[in-house]
Amino acid sequence: MKHGRLGTPNWRAEPPGPPKPSKGEKWVTHRLTCPRKPTNRTLDEAVRILVLEGLQPYVPILHLQHRLVSARHAGTLSTDLILLLQHEPVFTLGHNGGRENLNVSENILRKKGIQVVQTKRGGNITYHGPGQVIAYPIIDLRARRLRVTEYVWMLEEAMIQTAAAHGVNARRNPRNHGIWVGEKKLGSVGIAVRHGITYHGLALNVTLSLEPFSWITPCGLTGVAMTSLREAGAGDVSPREVMETLSRCLKEFFGTPMAHTHGEATGRHLQSTRQV
Amino acid sequence: MKELNELILPEDVKFTDEHEWARVEGDHVRVGISDYAQDQLGDVVFVELPEVGSSFNKGDEFGTVESVKTVSEIYMPVSGEVVAINEELADHPEYVNTDPYGKGWMIEVAPSDLSEMDSLLDKNAYLKLLEEE
Repeated sequence: MKHGRLGTPNWRAEPPGPPKPSKGEKWVTHRLTCPRKPTNRTLDEAVRILVLEGLQPYVPILHLQHRLVSARHAGTLSTDLILLLQHEPVFTLGHNGGRENLNVSENILRKKGIQVVQTKRGGNITYHGPGQVIAYPIIDLRARRLRVTEYVWMLEEAMIQTAAAHGVNARRNPRNHGIWVGEKKLGSVGIAVRHGITYHGLALNVTLSLEPFSWITPCGLTGVAMTSLREAGAGDVSPREVMETLSRCLKEFFGTPMAHTHGEATGRHLQSTRQV
Repeated sequence: MKELNELILPEDVKFTDEHEWARVEGDHVRVGISDYAQDQLGDVVFVELPEVGSSFNKGDEFGTVESVKTVSEIYMPVSGEVVAINEELADHPEYVNTDPYGKGWMIEVAPSDLSEMDSLLDKNAYLKLLEEE
């Protein structure tokens, strides 16, 4: 499997690629591959990754994110944090709606015990459930001097590299953000930013039952089929294994402040993480 | 991404540390987001604004801006009542990118205490904040 940076199609909404140094700056060249085994490098300083075991209910985790964002903003949480988890089955509506893209009655869903939750993340309706790996990064974009477009690019890249590590060649698609295998969507992004700090995040389908997606028009795009790593050829892979891979990929991006911030900001960032 | 010296930072507005701008126009204050903010967000696809008549305190969230699958909150530079919103942004959210201090304005506020403007950042102070940020 080739790990290099994938060619990015040229369309207007495409993020401008990875963060670039400003004039006169030099950055450490950033390695975009994700090792399948942990390296000896200690990259944990700038970000903490917290894996929540079991299936998590949606709303309490949303409230947890709100509290973490407040704590990060207040400085009582002094490092960025990424939650990795799987959700109980749930449909979530994005900021620009999505209820109109729900093609079954909410009564039927209630009988099946599936909630429909309105959220403030970007994007439209989607489904989360067992077999889908979720990452909710609580990242201070300002401290890292990251633009929103760069951040979204990094989340997509982490998913592309994770898929590649499990033998699936995923890429970006001009139709929409997220990552795709051919014309099928494998992973999604939906972000919210409060005081420069991110919440919500990414969802990568691993062994997820794809049936609930047939009850909605995912992302509000008609004719979009979803896929999972298992369906796309990753074989007998578990969500837990993918969580490990994704965790390493996210650390590659967010665990090395040198690659994304420069000089003074890096110094300040490292200083603040040392105060933990 | 714009370099700091490429940013448009007009002299007739004041800025917040959350990257909104505020301009006194007669008895009212016009509000939008700075050139730096729009550059950070990328292509704006949707702007959610409050209803005319709603009141907020300085620092309150008054709306959101959606760009590249991301919803970002925007905050009041001064306290007051919203007396007008930029209806054109419903059809032309891209004005926030192309003309952030002009056609991309967001709300007009009847301020409850105009002296709050004094606590905002002028061009130089804002530029200093951006250099440090």
